[in-house]
Amino acid sequence: MEWYEALGLLLGAIMFLMALGMPVALAFLAANIIGAWIFMGGERGIGQLLNNGLGSLTTYALVPIPLFLLMGEIFFHTGLGGRMFNAIDKLLGRLPGRLSYVTVLGGTAFSTLSGSSMGSTALLGSLMVPEMAKRGYKSHMSIGPILGTGGLAIIIPPSALAVLLATLAQIDVGALLIAGVIPGLILATFYITTIWLQTKIDPDAAPAYDVDPMSITTKLKLLLTEVVPMVGVMVAIIVLMINGIVTPSEAAAFGAFGVLILAAVFRCLTWQTMKKSVVGALRVTLMAYLIVFGSATFSQLLAFSGASRGLVNWATSYDLAPLVMLLVMFGVLLLLGMFMEQISIMLLTVPIFFPLAQTLGFDPIWFGLIMLLALEISFTTPPFGLLLFVMKGVAPPGTTMREIYTSAFPFIGCSLLLVALLVAFPQIALWLPGL
Amino acid sequence: MTAVFKTYSALVYAMAIVAGATLLWLMISVIGSVMMRNLGMQPAAWLFTSAEYGILYMTMLGAPWLVREKGHVHIELVTAALPEQARRLVSRLVAVACVLVCVILAWKGVELFLKNIARGDFDTRAYYYPRWLLTITFPLSFGIMAIEFSRFVFGDDLMHSGEAGIHE
Amino acid sequence: EDTVTAVHAFPETLIYTQSFLSFVDKVNEAGKGVVQIEVRGGPEAIGMFQQPDAVRDGIVDMVYTPGSFYGGALPEKDAMVASNLTAIETRENGGIELIDQIHQEKMGLKYLGWFDSGVCYNLWTRDEPSFDADGNLEVEGLKLRGNNVYNAFFTNYLGAQVIDLPTGEVYSALQRGVVDATGWTQIGLIDLKWNEFLNYRIEPCFFSTDLGVIVNNEKWDSLTDESKKILQDVAIQHEKDSVEALRAKRDEDFAALEEAGMKVVTLEGEAKANYLAAAREKTWERMKEVMAGQPGGTDNYDQLIELFYKLD
Ligand code: NA
Ligand code: NA
Repeated sequence: MEWYEALGLLLGAIMFLMALGMPVALAFLAANIIGAWIFMGGERGIGQLLNNGLGSLTTYALVPIPLFLLMGEIFFHTGLGGRMFNAIDKLLGRLPGRLSYVTVLGGTAFSTLSGSSMGSTALLGSLMVPEMAKRGYKSHMSIGPILGTGGLAIIIPPSALAVLLATLAQIDVGALLIAGVIPGLILATFYITTIWLQTKIDPDAAPAYDVDPMSITTKLKLLLTEVVPMVGVMVAIIVLMINGIVTPSEAAAFGAFGVLILAAVFRCLTWQTMKKSVVGALRVTLMAYLIVFGSATFSQLLAFSGASRGLVNWATSYDLAPLVMLLVMFGVLLLLGMFMEQISIMLLTVPIFFPLAQTLGFDPIWFGLIMLLALEISFTTPPFGLLLFVMKGVAPPGTTMREIYTSAFPFIGCSLLLVALLVAFPQIALWLPGL
Repeated sequence: MTAVFKTYSALVYAMAIVAGATLLWLMISVIGSVMMRNLGMQPAAWLFTSAEYGILYMTMLGAPWLVREKGHVHIELVTAALPEQARRLVSRLVAVACVLVCVILAWKGVELFLKNIARGDFDTRAYYYPRWLLTITFPLSFGIMAIEFSRFVFGDDLMHSGEAGIHE
Repeated sequence: EDTVTAVHAFPETLIYTQSFLSFVDKVNEAGKGVVQIEVRGGPEAIGMFQQPDAVRDGIVDMVYTPGSFYGGALPEKDAMVASNLTAIETRENGGIELIDQIHQEKMGLKYLGWFDSGVCYNLWTRDEPSFDADGNLEVEGLKLRGNNVYNAFFTNYLGAQVIDLPTGEVYSALQRGVVDATGWTQIGLIDLKWNEFLNYRIEPCFFSTDLGVIVNNEKWDSLTDESKKILQDVAIQHEKDSVEALRAKRDEDFAALEEAGMKVVTLEGEAKANYLAAAREKTWERMKEVMAGQPGGTDNYDQLIELFYKLD
């Protein structure tokens, strides 16, 4: 079978089943059964599918996500979140869309610690979305910025994905990590501008309730009793990470534990809230991880059948101008990113793209960063970006697919704009590591 | 007959409760190993390994409950565009396909589980852990998921609501 | 023409994979019109730890992987892990033949060749290592990163505080001081950039890499005799070539590390002998223990040790 036939068959099967309304995880499994049957030698291929699922689910990298979700759920169900956001609302005064800004700032700060987009989205999503919905924010004002900042996690150091990319491509890890700092901050600024524009265009997008003026002492008291303890938990985790007492993957457990202790101290921890929190975190985790179970093998089938390599080789086989070649590679990454998981994409494309980039005269650090941006975008591209499904899990009931997609688009636009800027002014990435 | 249904239902919920407890165990095991490490002790390797295996147990044991709760995300595109009668038919057909997928995986899961026992396969990490203790979750989970999906084939309650969008 | 499909355990850019791919090129050159190896990819095509099962089940015909990835099914791989010989000597003395025979019996696999042998492991530390009065390495307070290849040695003998971490997390763990020492092969530290944080290499080195090519038995039997001969001959030649190539690479890496300020600390005399003895004996102990629980028991134990370890 030619690579394009294999590609057509696998992508066709999954798109058909999903459009028909099969649960996403089951659609992956069904497409895998068909694919394993054809490409892995019939029946025995299906046993391999189960072995693969076992391998992809028994990895330590998946431990933080349920714990970040748990942290957010406890925060919400105990009412600690409500208290803190009420206080922030009052402290920030009249600024329209203030919690969206808080999301971007908090998300950016959190991204500097977390190397995981899914973890970041899980935490911010379960922390912010229910609270913002309660306050009358339109869903795109909460979902959009969170999807955006979730992606920031892999650009702003530390980033597990950046380390892996640098290792695979054999480029300087430190330089690639540092190269992400300025572009990451620029991206966060774009996000803030986007929110500002959105509140200008549609003043109803964020609630415009008035806040009574407060004295400094009231403000201070509010800050100390409602904001500092919770922020303190976050700061404590950051300190633990910086001092090397915990690794980033371990931090989530301390986050959840810290909020539990806080809830106990504030006397809002009951069996009922605990149960609700675990059930909430469990629902999103199970939904996302059964998709992980299915999609890991799907990526492998695309690789094993030769479909994805065929696509990559075909796309890079033309003799084109460097800029066009860059666009082609970027396009291939986005396309693969819709259907494949990030690490598989890197394993597949790095050995082809980096030598090619070198012959085209690209700086490898700069190219690595553009590649990370493509991977970041692919996390939130419809129809299959896993972050979209995690977000769906934590969003209020009745949030539609269209709402989530349209919320993501302006923020994907920001990333594309950043890529354009990087192409025009490579120094944005290269200045800092060159110092 | 009702006694059978009740026992079966209890099993689905019991598995979900174990999944929830596993989620809490993830937190406890991570905190435990970090504490031990920073107190200068050797963190028990099973704390680390149990978290890795825990993810699999949690996902597999909880998945059937989530089918019952309609918690596995799906997209309504075709079903939203169709007239009522056709929608009901498509919804039931999709459920049939889900049952089929689960039955196939449960059956291959049994084979894999038996093969692991026959070969004496081990998962080799910090410990040599019998592989069948992991793969036994496949027939169990996919078998019960098949039953849960078949409720949407034969029951009154449909999987698809007919409203456009991602559904939980 | 026979076609053999293959996958490799590590990413394509890694030196060990490059070695395997050069073996593939040699086979495809020598086997024109007779036998061709068709590489399907690395861990992106079949997961690293699922590859041994995949070749057993005939999903893929050939896999290039460390024996340690299927150590549960074949504990005898520890004879290679603890070995101080290379494929050249063990091919001559019949060691590899015995390993092949065990692969056939226990896993239904043909063991085609032991590549990239002769590369051993060192302990690498951030701070200057200290020694007790007898010259033994002091591990007290050392935060040592480990994995299941060397934990038998690290924990059982050194009594070190071992922290299990996946390779991908080691860079940031070193950066933050979660760990300050690790075992690693002589080659590859620079590729992983760990030398940014590690400043000392402790000699002597211990263990050996255990990367080999395994082929599904049914597939092997279905090949023509001509194909089998080409595959086996090229593999034996590559066993030799790869030893040379990796020795050259090691010298290159060591020179580059030294250039960048890596210091070498050496255990001497009895301390050295004890250290090496512990590395091999703790590993043999583990091998014997797992062998005892399998069909065939420890029948091959003594012979394996004789063929794979040369006492001075
Ligand atoms: Na980050
Ligand atoms: Na995607």
